[in-house]
Formats: sequence, structure tokens, C-alpha cells
Amino acid sequence: MINRLLSVITLLVSLLSCSKPSEDLMIATAANVQYVMQDIKAEFEKESGKKIQIIVGSSGKLTTQIREGAPYDVFVSADEKYPNEIYKNGGSDDAPKVYATGTLVLWSKNLDSAQVNLEKLTDPEIHKIALADPKTAPYGLAAEQAIKKLGIYGPVKPKLVFGESIAQTTQYISSGAAEVGFTALSIVLSSELKGNGFYTVIDSTLHDPIAQAAILLKHSENSPKKAASEAFYHFLFSEKAKAIFSKYGYK
Amino acid sequence: MNENMDWQPLWLTFKLASITSVLLLFFAIPVAYWLAFGKFKGRGIVEALIGMPLVLPPSVIGFYLLLAFSPSYIFGSWIEANLGFRLVFSFPGLVIASLIYSFPFMVYPIRAGLQSIPHSLHEASYTLGKSKTETFFKVLLPNIKPALLTAFVLTFAHTVGEFGVVLMIGGNIPGVTKVASVAIYNEVEALNYGVANQYALILFASTFAILLIVYSINNRLLRVRQGA
Repeated sequence: MINRLLSVITLLVSLLSCSKPSEDLMIATAANVQYVMQDIKAEFEKESGKKIQIIVGSSGKLTTQIREGAPYDVFVSADEKYPNEIYKNGGSDDAPKVYATGTLVLWSKNLDSAQVNLEKLTDPEIHKIALADPKTAPYGLAAEQAIKKLGIYGPVKPKLVFGESIAQTTQYISSGAAEVGFTALSIVLSSELKGNGFYTVIDSTLHDPIAQAAILLKHSENSPKKAASEAFYHFLFSEKAKAIFSKYGYK
Repeated sequence: MNENMDWQPLWLTFKLASITSVLLLFFAIPVAYWLAFGKFKGRGIVEALIGMPLVLPPSVIGFYLLLAFSPSYIFGSWIEANLGFRLVFSFPGLVIASLIYSFPFMVYPIRAGLQSIPHSLHEASYTLGKSKTETFFKVLLPNIKPALLTAFVLTFAHTVGEFGVVLMIGGNIPGVTKVASVAIYNEVEALNYGVANQYALILFASTFAILLIVYSINNRLLRVRQGA
């Protein structure tokens, strides 16, 4: 019995050790950038011949994973706070740099265009308003700031539901579970969602700028992927990448 | 980034677990009885269905419940039109989800308890002229106290541990759907390890205490029975 167990364990261990670490670049990507990243990835792979793997998550979750040693090469965050946190903790030798500024939109799948408006959020027909958790997600924070600045936070507060990331928030809106919600322009402009429902761009003076920064991670220092990681990091700030970002509504 | 711990998610977790466990006790006893003593066709299908939450990823349950509860789909819009409220992002929605999610944890121990009662006990009761109902309440139920306790506590603990389902359908609303397991997740994501640790320690300690009490009580009950 014990022998059999041992042989099973040996088999499992040998299976595990067979899988050698991937040569692909691992790019930790904030959820709001996931669609534009597909285009960036295609362009970079064409240019460099390197393969990229995109790991999508909320910036907070990815930061936690990076702090605990996740093998990512570059982190493309949704804000500056998390990459700064990583930099301060020694996760990188270079300070993070802003690669794009995001645009906040109010979006609905089913409401008609006249109703997708900040002033209408207090209407009784609107039961639930989705936004990303302001504590962890920059687009959620911007949405909260806009609502507060308009002075409707009080009446609107009982209607708020919080997605754990911009991706879950988008899914709350697109499934109709919430009539309306705040998400990123880059998401509603993605080929997956284009033409779905109606959105209005939120006046950017109502909230702090959503400056999105990327950081080259230290993990890549001693790895054979170092040169490729740096190439990708620099590619993010290239004219080619800028053109792709602006196609998705980034500034 | 340090913020103080809020007791609300913990209180909400225990409220959800208590309501779910009490409701399930009433739902599960008849089902367990039926499974233990009923003779019917398609037993395998019923048993498999009841056991599904044990093996399904919580995200599968969460995903289907999200669609079911959303007013964009038939069930959710029917509920909203007829009962005037929305299950998604609400506490009642979490209760319904927990009832489904924890059902097997209540049914299986009770069924096992009922099946372990010697047949002679039922027969003795019937011979003494007691009805089926009276036998059930006065003979069967008192004899499966350890099983009832185990079922109740497993259900409670399992509901406390619920995470994936709540994350999918809860909407993280403080005081309404933000339970402790989700609060821990959020605090870790916000890099507030200290607060996350406080929640986690409290959950760890309280669930351990609950299990300890149950096993002690069960051991005593069993010893009493064996001694008698």
C-alpha cells in the first residue's frame, strides 16, 4: 500500500519537474488594458519574434502576487499607486512610468441614451449602479470622485455595487445585473463589446486623472528574458504603442 | 495604507451562516428521511443532483446564479415583477445561494444518521402502536442528535467558508453582501495585510472553536450511548 503510494508520488513529482519554466514573456496586465494589450502583443510579437503571455487581473491582486514572488517580467498597471508600491519595496530598479491616461465612461446595456447620464443616476428606475472597488481600482476611485463632486453621493450610495475589478464591474453591467455602471472607455471600445448598449464619457475634470503606469520587474534581472523584457517595456512607450492606445480611447 | 478592521463583515458572515443553517435544517430533514427510507425510481439522479455542490466549482454555481438572479433573464425578471425585489447583490440572494451551496453538507450526515439506526427500533415503536410521524419525532430524531449536530455545524462552517459564489453574485456591498471571506480578499488586494490577518485569525479561531465543541459534544454523546 505504502509502496504504491510512493510510486504515485514519484510519478507526480517527475511529471511536475518535466514542465520547465516558460521562455515566454509574462506580462501582468490590469483588467482595463486587457483588450488593447491583445493588439500591443500582436504588434510586439511581430516586431521582435518573442512570445508574450498576458496575465489579467486587478492591479491590486497582481501587485500582491508580484510582492509574493510571481514570475512576471513587466507589470502594466491601471494606476501609479501599485507600481510605486512595488518600486518602494525594491521590486524594480526603475521608477514606474506612465504609458497612458485612461478615460472613465458611464455605460449601460439596456437603458436608452438619454438615461445614461450622471444626473439620471438618482432616478428611481435605476436600482443598481456598478463600479469597481474604489479602494483597489483606479476607475472605481475616479467614479466615486465624480459622484461625490456632483453632490449625489448620498442619494446614490444605496444603489452602488462593487466589482472586485473593472472586469467584474463590466460583467455586472453587460449581464444587466446592474442597469448602469462605470467602466473604462477602452473596454467599451473593445471588439468584444463594441456596439453593445450605450456609453457616455465622464467629464475628466470631475475626477483625478487616471494615470496608468507600467514597471519593469526585477524578476527579469537574472533571467534569459531580461533583454526581451526591456524591449517590451520600451515598446509600451513607442509611437506604435501610442497609436494603439489612442485607438482604444487612452490619452 | 493601514485601516482599522471593521466588524461588520464578520457579523454578516455569521448571520448568513446562522440563517442558512437553520433554514437548511428544516429543508434537509425531510429530504434526508426520503433518501434514507424512501423507495423510488431514479434515486441515483436525485442523489447526484443533491451532491453536485460538493464537486462543482463555486464559480460555476455563482455564474449560473448571477444569470438566474439578473433582471435581464427570465427568473430574475419574474422575481422582480412579482415580488418587487432583486436577488442579485442582495442578502436574500446570498441566503438562497448558500442554501444551494451547503445543501449536501446538511443532507448527507442526517441521512447517514437515520440509516445507522437499527431497524428493530422503528419496529418496536410501530409494535407499540406509534404512528410513523410519532416514531420519527420521538424515536428517530432523538437518536440522531450527533448526526444533526454534525450536519448543522458542517453547514455553518461551510457557509462561513463560502467565497467564490459570494464574489460572483454579491457585489461587495458593505453590510449587505460583503462577508468576511470577501473582505479578506479585498484587504489583501489593497495591500492591508494587517487587517486581512485580523479577519483571517478571527475566522480561524472561531471555526476551530466551533469544530472543537462539536467533536467534544459528539464524543460525549457517543460515550453515553455506548455506556448505556
